Amino acid sequence: MAGNEVPFSDSLKTQANMQQSLPFQNVPKADVSDKQTLLAVLQFLKKNNLKGTEELLKREASIKDDDVRPQTSSQSETDVSHALAAYKSADDPSLFTDYYTDLKTFIESCLDAHKVELSVILYPVFIHMYLEMVYNEHESYAILFFRRFSKEQEDFYQEDLQKLATVTKKEHMKGNELMESFKASKFVIKMSRDSYNHLKRYLQENKMKPLLNIIQEHLFIDVFDGVPRTKQQIDATSGALLGESERDANKVKVFYGLLKEPDINMPLEEEDEPPEGEDKPKKKKPKKDPLMMKKSKNDPHAPAFNRIPLPEMKDQDKMEKITAYREALKRVKVGRDNPPTICFYTVLNSYQGVTSIDMSEDSSLLCAGFADSTIRVFTTSSHKLRSMKTAAELDNIDRDADDVLERMMDDRSATDSKLLTGHSGPVYAARFSRDRKYLVSCSEDGTVRLWSLLTWTNLVCYKGHNHPVWDVEFSPYGHYFVSVGHDRTARLWATDHHVPIRIFSGHLSDMDCVKFHPNSNYIATGSNDRFIRLWDILNGNCVRLFSGHKGSVQALCFSPDGRFLASSGVDSVVLLWDIATGGLMAQMKGHTDTVYSLCFSRDGGVLASGGLDNSVKLWDVIKVLQEVDTDADTSIPSSVHVNDSTGLLIGSWATKATPVLCIHFTRKNLMIASGPAALTEEKSPHKT
Amino acid sequence: MASPVKSSPRDAQVMGAILKEMGVTEYEPRVVNVMLEFVYRYVTDVLEDAKVYCNHANKKSLDAEDIKLAVQCRMDHSFTSPPPRDLLMEISKHKNSQVMPLIKPYTGLRLPPDRYCLSAPNYRMSSHKAVKKHQARIQIGLPQFQQRINLSQMSMTPGFLAGKLGAGGPHLTVVSKPGMGVPAVTIVTKPSGQQTMTAKPAIRISTGTSLNSLNQNRTFHQVVSTSSSHAGPQHTIQFQPLQSTTTSLITNQSMNPLKRKMEDDYDNPS
Repeated sequence: MAGNEVPFSDSLKTQANMQQSLPFQNVPKADVSDKQTLLAVLQFLKKNNLKGTEELLKREASIKDDDVRPQTSSQSETDVSHALAAYKSADDPSLFTDYYTDLKTFIESCLDAHKVELSVILYPVFIHMYLEMVYNEHESYAILFFRRFSKEQEDFYQEDLQKLATVTKKEHMKGNELMESFKASKFVIKMSRDSYNHLKRYLQENKMKPLLNIIQEHLFIDVFDGVPRTKQQIDATSGALLGESERDANKVKVFYGLLKEPDINMPLEEEDEPPEGEDKPKKKKPKKDPLMMKKSKNDPHAPAFNRIPLPEMKDQDKMEKITAYREALKRVKVGRDNPPTICFYTVLNSYQGVTSIDMSEDSSLLCAGFADSTIRVFTTSSHKLRSMKTAAELDNIDRDADDVLERMMDDRSATDSKLLTGHSGPVYAARFSRDRKYLVSCSEDGTVRLWSLLTWTNLVCYKGHNHPVWDVEFSPYGHYFVSVGHDRTARLWATDHHVPIRIFSGHLSDMDCVKFHPNSNYIATGSNDRFIRLWDILNGNCVRLFSGHKGSVQALCFSPDGRFLASSGVDSVVLLWDIATGGLMAQMKGHTDTVYSLCFSRDGGVLASGGLDNSVKLWDVIKVLQEVDTDADTSIPSSVHVNDSTGLLIGSWATKATPVLCIHFTRKNLMIASGPAALTEEKSPHKT
Repeated sequence: MASPVKSSPRDAQVMGAILKEMGVTEYEPRVVNVMLEFVYRYVTDVLEDAKVYCNHANKKSLDAEDIKLAVQCRMDHSFTSPPPRDLLMEISKHKNSQVMPLIKPYTGLRLPPDRYCLSAPNYRMSSHKAVKKHQARIQIGLPQFQQRINLSQMSMTPGFLAGKLGAGGPHLTVVSKPGMGVPAVTIVTKPSGQQTMTAKPAIRISTGTSLNSLNQNRTFHQVVSTSSSHAGPQHTIQFQPLQSTTTSLITNQSMNPLKRKMEDDYDNPS
C-alpha cells in the first residue's frame, strides 16, 4: 500500500527537525481560474486514491508544498472564496457524523497519555466539518451535527460555537468575521511525536478522505519530541481563537531589560531631613544602593539607549528623577508578611458613568473618563490645580527666576478638579504622561486627543482609527503614545505627528488593552481573540504570542524590571508570562468576575488585581519566582511547569459595591485603588 | 431579566427568542422595545430601497434580488466594518518599513504643525465693525454717537502715515463732535520734527453725495504745528470720513497695531 503513504512521505523525508507540518498546498497567485481547475483535478485524484498521479501533477504544475505559518498567511477576498471552494466535495454529509464518531472512539481507545493530546484535535475538526457541510448546503445535516456534538466541546469554546451556530447557510459564511478567521488561518495544536504518529497511523489505515483533507488544510500540528502533555498543561495554554501559539512565534530575541539610566549628579547635600543629618557627609559619595547599582551595569538583555529615538532629558526631568529617587529610598518593602496598605478612592454619584480611571506616576493626580464624553482631573494632594497665566500676563514675569514654573501659574484659577470636554463619545481611557504635563484620551468617536494639563485645553485631535478606540497609553519616556481599537490595529503616534508612525496588525479581533514595556521598546496588546502579542516598536514585528486566556483580555501589566507580563480579563484568571521564553509561569485563580486592573508593586514582589467582583486581590510573585524550575527546557512544552498553587494568594479585600477600575502603587509602595460606586436604588431599605 | 411575557405581541416574543439564541440572557425589558424599533426602521428602509431598485429594473413585483441589493447597499453605507486583515497587514508593512522619525532637540512643546492642532483662536474681535456700522447709520441720519477709542502707548505699524514717526507712538482717537453729526477721527501724533503731514495720509474725503442724503458739511481740518520742541503740541488731523472704507482703513491699522499682519481682516477691502 505504498500509495497510501505518499501524502505523509514528504513529512517523513524531511530532515529530523523538531517541527513538522503536514504538507499544505500553497498556490502561487498566477491565474485564478487555472489554479482552481488544477486544484479541482487534484481533489479528484485524491478522492480516487490516485496518489502517484497526484504527486506527478503537483510536481509538473509546480505547485509548491510550503510550510506556511498561520499568522503570516494573508489571503485576499478571492483567496477566501477560493479556500471556500476547496470545501466543494460531493461527500455525503451523513458520513461526516460517522467520521467524527469514529475519530472519537479511536481517541478514547488510545493510551491515556495520548488521549488528552489527541482530544484537542476534536474541536477544530468539528468546526471545519460543520462549515464544510454548510458550504455544501446540507443545512439540516449541519444543524443536526452541530446540535449533537457542540455541547461536548470544551467550555471555553462555547462562546465561539454560539457565534458559529448562527451560520447555517452558505450566504452567512461570507460576512461572518469569526468564520473568516477560521478559514484564513490555521488552527495550531502542539502535539508530541508519539501522539502524532498514532494519529497518522489511524488516518492512514482508515482512509477517511474528508477528515484527511480537513486536517491537512486547516490544522497546523506543531510536533515536538518529548513526553505527551497532561490535561492541565494543555488547558493552561489553550483557549485562544486559533488554538495555541506555536514555538516559532516566540523565538525572536526580546530585549526585556531596562534602559540604562543616565548618570545624574544627585545633589543630595540639599537634603533637608534632620534625622539623617549624621549621614550627610556620606551622601556625597555615590550611594551603594541596590536601586542604582543595577542600572549602572550593562544589562545584556537591555536594548541600546538609542534603539528607538527618545526625547532627551530636560532639567525638569532630572529634578523629577531626583525626587523620585528620594521617595524610592523611603519605600516600604511589601510582601506576604507585610501586605501593603490600601487607600481606596471611590467616585460617588457619577450619573455619567465612569468608564476609566488613571493615576499619575507620582500619585498626585487622578483622572476619570466618563460615558458622557468628559474627562475630569482631580488632585489627590493638597496642591490645587492651577492653569497657566494668559499670554499677556506671562510677558510680565521674570523668566530667569528660580520659581518661574510657579510664577507662570495663575493662582486665581486654583480648583480641586478640572473638567476637560472635547470628545463626542464615551471616553474609554485617559492616561497621564510621566511628567504630568499632558493627558491623552481615547473614545468611541475614533479620535485620540492630547490635552495640556497646564492650560487645561485640548491641544491636538489625532484621527486615524475610524472605529472606537478602546485603550491608549503614553510611553514611559514621553513623546510616544499608542492606541488600540476596534479595527484590530494598534497605532503608535508621536505627539508631533498627526499620522501614526507605526501600525501593528495581526490580531483577529478587536484589541482591548495596551501597555508599554518599561524600556519603551515594546508594546503588549491584549485582544478579544484571547491572544496577547508583544510588538517591537522599531520594526513593527510581533515578537511574542501568548495564548492561554479563555476569555477576552482586559488588563495587562509589565513588571517593573521588565521581565514579566501579567494579564487578565473576562475569564478572571490572572496569568503571569515570562517574556524571555514566551511561556506561562503562573496561573492565579481567585477572582469570580472580569478583572479590569492589574498593577505590580514598585519592587515587583506583589501583584495586585481588581475587577468587577468588587474586590482587590494580592498575589505573591516572589513565591512564583522561587518555585520556577530554571533547568527546564522551555522548548519542550511538556516540561514546563505552570505554577497553579492556591498559595499564591496573599489576601483579598472586598469593597461594598465598587468595581475596581484602577490600581496604582505609589513610589513608597502604598497601594491606591479606585472605582465608581455602583449603588443602585434596589439596595435602599426604604423601597416597598 | 425574564424573557417577554406571554401576553406580549408576537414580534416581541420573536425578539426575545433571537436574544436568547445569541446568548444574551440578562437584559432590561426595554431592550426588546429598542431592538424592535431598530428592526422596524431597518426593514422599512430596506424594503423601500428594494422597491426603488425594482422599479428601476422595470419589474412587476419585488423579488429576492432586489432585497439582496438593497441590503448590500445599506451595509456598505451605514454599517462599515473594519478593514479586512490582509489589507491591514499590507498597510502596516508599508508603514513599519519607514524609519522612526528623529526627535528634534531643544523644543518646548512637541506638537504637529499648527494646521493639525486645535490651538488656533476660533473667534475674531469685531469691535471696529461696530464703529463702521454706526458710521454707516450716521450717514443716513441717525443721531450722533460718541465713541472714543483711545489707544495709548501703542507703537504704530511702520507703514502708517508715511512712516517716520518718532518714538512714543501716536494716539488715535475717534471723537465725535457734538453738533457735527458725524464722528471725527483724530489722529494725534507726537512731534516728529518732520513735515509728515505734507504727504497726507491716505485718507481722502470726498463729498460723495450718493451715499449721503443729508449732505452735511464736512470739514477737513488739519492742524500742523511745526514746532520742533519735543514737548510740543500735538499734530492733529481731523476729518470726517464719509466712506466706510476709509474709516476702516484707519481704525483697522490703528486699532490693532499689535495684530499680526498675516491675519487678514476680511472686512478690509484694501
